[in-house]
Amino acid sequence: MKKLPDQIIRISIIFTALILFTIVIRVFIIPEDLKEKGIFRTSAIKQELAKEIHYAGSEICVDCHEEQYDAKHNGYHKELSCEVCHGPSYEHSEEPDDATPEAPRKRKFCPVCHTYNLSRPTGFPQINPFAHNPLEPCINCHEPHDPRPLETPKECAGCHRSIATTLAVSPHVKLECITCHNTPEDHKINPRIVRPGKPTESKFCGKCHADGSSNREAPKIDISVHGENGEKYLCWQCHYPHLPEVD
Amino acid sequence: MNIASAHEGLTKLLEQVSGFIYPNEIEVHWSILIVVYPYLTGLVAGAFILASLVKVFNVTALKPTYRLALLTALAFLLIAPLPLLLHLGHPLRSWQIFFTPNFSSAMAMFGFVYAWYLMVVLLLEIWFDYRADLVNWGQTAKFPLNWFYRILSLFSKDVSPQAIAFDNKAVKFITLLGIPSAFILHGYVGFLFGSIKANPWWSSVLIPIVFLFSAIVSGIALVMLLYMVITPSRGKPIDMKCLDKVASFLLYAAIVDFSLEILDITHRLYESEESIKIITEMVVNKLFISLVVLQLLIGMVVPLGILIATKLANFNQELRKLLYFLAAILIQIGIFSTRWNVVLGGQMFSKSFRGLISYRMEMFGQEGFLMALTLLVVPFFILALLIKLLPPWGSTETLE
Ligand code: HEC
Ligand code: HEC
Ligand code: HEC
Ligand code: HEC
Ligand code: HEC
Ligand code: HEC
Ligand code: HEC
Ligand code: HEC
Repeated sequence: MKKLPDQIIRISIIFTALILFTIVIRVFIIPEDLKEKGIFRTSAIKQELAKEIHYAGSEICVDCHEEQYDAKHNGYHKELSCEVCHGPSYEHSEEPDDATPEAPRKRKFCPVCHTYNLSRPTGFPQINPFAHNPLEPCINCHEPHDPRPLETPKECAGCHRSIATTLAVSPHVKLECITCHNTPEDHKINPRIVRPGKPTESKFCGKCHADGSSNREAPKIDISVHGENGEKYLCWQCHYPHLPEVD
Repeated sequence: MNIASAHEGLTKLLEQVSGFIYPNEIEVHWSILIVVYPYLTGLVAGAFILASLVKVFNVTALKPTYRLALLTALAFLLIAPLPLLLHLGHPLRSWQIFFTPNFSSAMAMFGFVYAWYLMVVLLLEIWFDYRADLVNWGQTAKFPLNWFYRILSLFSKDVSPQAIAFDNKAVKFITLLGIPSAFILHGYVGFLFGSIKANPWWSSVLIPIVFLFSAIVSGIALVMLLYMVITPSRGKPIDMKCLDKVASFLLYAAIVDFSLEILDITHRLYESEESIKIITEMVVNKLFISLVVLQLLIGMVVPLGILIATKLANFNQELRKLLYFLAAILIQIGIFSTRWNVVLGGQMFSKSFRGLISYRMEMFGQEGFLMALTLLVVPFFILALLIKLLPPWGSTETLE
């Protein structure tokens, strides 16, 4: 057999030493808790458990603050946790006298959630903080734990601002919401439970748009042929009803 | 902290946001350090490819840059993992990562790719190439340097023609192995981004290849710059034949890179996926300077023009040097912008496709501008040290 070149032997020694070194580190120096469960460091659980607790959760407050709890429980803010507004209160709930949570009484607080923002879900109560009763703290008029509207918003726009503003610049601007949505009064009080109607078939639009309709302003089409022969699609699959466009 | 006081901080942050974003997108997590990381590894891969041209493809004109390119690759490779470790936040704990490898994590693969490239490719190649010199210096240098060289040479003494012939064979073999390895090293970095399905700016099979060629461009340009600075400072004349050759390769690589980049852009525009609107908006509003001006115009079109001009026209040596120098600097700016645009661009638009986010760079701090600058400068000091200890213009020629 040919003798291995001298260089290869020397390099091999180095690599063997490195491999041994790795094994030694793996076996003796890497802490046990890094090896027990794959890549998960088991002592991390203990470490997390040892952390100081800041939040008490929303159930414990009821023990001492029944009034606020009950108010909130049935109101519009029922899905907010107390600590969303009052901050972490674990210490307070253990020793009420040692630490009192802050109450956000200033006006700038509520708009964190209630400022008008297009991306909020439809129907979410939103205001423009510059225009809505400026300068006065919100809690002068709204009880924070049960913020029922002082009076039922008269306009649909109060809750459906983005649809209303869209409609206002569309060819349908002259149509009222209720022309197309049969809306019970109770919708304005319990909007998620009492739902208004929505048009369900193309014939509805045809009332104004079909050839021979009595509406004088609406452009006419032959609903039996228009839009892929009328059967396959509803009108609003092609025309957004709040901003109908033809191009 | 309750949300009343969080509110103020949040409002400040919200100024950096336009449109709708998801809550976890407000912070740009991959900061400038993650920009530096692919830039550094790119330089390594590129410099190595330049070196391999000499050994594998026998481009003898490039010989004066061979060892310089290897040392450059090493100097930058040593620093390449640092941005990652600093970004992870506990650099002193990083050794645990290396010794508890996670085979299923694409991120963790860097450890393997890196170890392979450093130990099996770069160090071995340098060792074989310098071995005869090391033996020689081990005898001629003064104490304690002579011991340093002896240890580096692993106490080998054999400088017989057979041994040197074996060294050369080994170097050639390792370089052959090294080309795919360098491709893997930087292709891998591109793969990391390209394989992120959820992010349309990154998710593209072209990304690893674009990364690779931009790496080659930046690496060649860097070695060219270094060669043009170091040689005159030693009082030696610049070998114009070599420099012209480097510039040619730089031009070829840049042409391929540019075509790939244009291909990538065309592809995106033609595909016009749902993300195209927000991406266009991002490019126009957030990345205009860094992408259109720096990356494409100043960093690519202008240097390409310069390099083509030097090929077509008959400029004299001095003008050529000046132009090469300028082109190489512009290319560095361009490739750095490329990394910037890829890494930060991917985090500047919301995955809802309805909002944009800004990146505000810190000045100080572990992920700040100064740290990034340090990481970019340190390799040059390491290189200076390497050059001092292992002069690339060593004594092999005389020995041969
Ligand atoms: C063990 C009984 C107890 C529990 C449990 C408790 N509190 Fe209190 N809380 C008190 C008492 C007593 C006070 C009045 C202390 C004072 O005025 O200094 C108080 C006062 C407050 C105040 C008034 C601060 C102000 O500015 O007027 C707030 C807000 C409050 N608690 C919130 C909470 C929240 C939120 C929880 C649940 C996480 C909670 N508390 C749980 C006993 C309790
Ligand atoms: C929407 C934010 C919000 C939520 C949610 C909220 N609070 Fe309040 N809370 C306030 C504000 C604002 C005040 C100050 C009211 C005032 O000064 O009139 C307040 C005051 C209080 C007070 C002081 C007594 C009072 O009525 O002025 C207590 C006690 C309290 N809250 C307990 C609770 C508890 C318990 C919960 C959860 C069941 C809760 N809060 C949920 C905003 C909130
Ligand atoms: C963490 C977010 C949040 C904060 C902070 C908040 N709210 Fe609300 N608010 C809500 C939610 C959620 C609803 C229920 C919306 C629904 O029913 O769709 C609501 C409902 C309301 C309503 C009922 C509107 C209507 O007619 O339907 C009023 C009024 C109101 N909030 C006032 C306030 C005031 C005043 C504050 C400040 C003390 C405040 N909110 C703070 C989330 C918030
Ligand atoms: C107090 C606020 C409020 C007012 C005022 C209000 N709505 Fe609503 N509306 C809502 C909420 C909340 C929803 C539920 C949204 C959801 O669940 O996505 C809703 C849903 C609807 C829907 C969709 C129902 C469905 O099944 O998809 C229609 C249509 C609608 N409203 C029409 C109106 C009209 C028309 C008016 C005015 C006459 C009006 N709303 C006034 C809050 C309001
Ligand atoms: C001067 C009393 C007053 C003050 C101060 C006030 N509001 Fe109102 N708010 C009202 C009245 C009245 C309504 C119901 C009529 C309407 O829609 O405007 C209302 C309605 C609302 C609604 C429901 C809107 C809708 O369309 O359903 C919200 C949300 C609301 N307010 C939040 C706030 C917030 C947040 C603040 C503080 C920035 C605030 N309000 C300050 C009197 C007030
Ligand atoms: C020309 C008829 C028409 C008018 C006028 C109209 N709507 Fe609608 N609206 C529709 C139709 C049709 C749908 C169902 C669309 C669908 O199912 O995709 C709808 C859906 C809705 C929805 C639920 C879906 C959504 O887009 O969020 C709401 C809420 C709504 N309308 C509110 C209003 C309000 C508020 C007004 C007045 C400002 C209004 N609409 C005026 C025809 C109309
Ligand atoms: C109460 C009558 C009425 C109903 C119901 C109605 N529209 Fe209209 N629509 C009009 C009128 C009036 C115009 C023309 C306004 C103008 O341009 O002066 C119009 C215009 C349009 C246009 C043309 C817009 C343009 O740019 O020319 C479209 C499309 C349209 N409506 C679609 C619909 C659809 C879809 C529905 C059913 C959801 C519907 N309409 C229901 C009255 C109605
Ligand atoms: C398949 C898509 C589609 C459907 C479904 C559809 N439309 Fe259209 N509609 C169009 C297009 C495209 C145009 C514009 C080109 C044209 O005039 O044919 C248009 C035009 C219109 C116009 C304007 C005509 C004019 O002369 O200005 C009205 C009104 C209209 N549609 C009403 C309706 C109504 C009502 C329905 C439901 C019965 C409906 N569309 C269903 C696609 C559709």
